[in-house]
Amino acid sequence: MITLSQRLKKQQDDRSAAVNRISIRDKLLIKESQEMSQLLPNNCSVFYENENDLSKFILTVKPTEGYWEGGTFKFAINVTEEYNMVPPTVKCLTRLWHPNITEVGEVCLSLLRQHSMDGLGWSPIRRLNDVVWGLHALFTDLLNFDDPLNIEASDMYRNSKEEFRMKVNEYVMLYAKE
Amino acid sequence: MSASIADENENTERLDDASKNEKMFTLKKWNAVAMWSWDVECDTCAICRVQVMDACLRCQAESKKDSYGKQDCVVVWGECNHSFHYCCMSLWVKQNNRCPLCQQEWSIQRMGK
Ligand SMILES: [Zn+2]
Ligand SMILES: [Zn+2]
Ligand SMILES: [Zn+2]
Repeated sequence: MITLSQRLKKQQDDRSAAVNRISIRDKLLIKESQEMSQLLPNNCSVFYENENDLSKFILTVKPTEGYWEGGTFKFAINVTEEYNMVPPTVKCLTRLWHPNITEVGEVCLSLLRQHSMDGLGWSPIRRLNDVVWGLHALFTDLLNFDDPLNIEASDMYRNSKEEFRMKVNEYVMLYAKE
Repeated sequence: MSASIADENENTERLDDASKNEKMFTLKKWNAVAMWSWDVECDTCAICRVQVMDACLRCQAESKKDSYGKQDCVVVWGECNHSFHYCCMSLWVKQNNRCPLCQQEWSIQRMGK
């Protein structure tokens, strides 16, 4: 029979484990947030909804060249309690036409994959700075779209760069203008 | 031993750490003993970013709350020769049994301080 005191003990243990995890994440975040802001790409900015909570922020990317030039793209980044054992969760808040981002904002970036065997996925040696530069790289033409999320966009990119450019532009005009 | 990109990254990071540390104290005399302890001190756990010879970030947080319940936080070396806190590594291998630095399958070579 499980006694009340045992149950209370378990609750306490669970609670202290949770508190402890949060504090580890927060300790890591103090350093990583600073590093991230110091090394931010020129066309990116970071906004904290609550200045006392470093775990939730909006990253804004304004590409200065390439297909998405002229657009303003926002990402909601959430660093969960289990960080840095798991990657931050990332959602794109701006609708766009992109092989690696769906129209509802799911982002495909190898770095953000939690279980990957190829060595390109998440690993606790990665930092917030790597995530920011990874998202930034989604808007450079150097990227290869081998593992697309938006299949239609990826096929279009492969078959007709001109059609792709026009569709991207159309979406930028409709959804990504400040 | 083969060099990989991951190894190179790690080395640059260590150099960065070393140059940061350098500003914190000056060595009056540069001898072999100082060199040796220097190397050891700069070995940082890539998971929690605390030196492996110190308690990991997790154990440090715990001992702050209860200074007498301090656990022995040991170092673990993999077959790949990379070292981490045992606490940090045991959390990571539950998800992915690979060394975070070189991506080789993780197997423990030795443990200790
Ligand atoms: Zn550690
Ligand atoms: Zn520990
Ligand atoms: Zn290794």
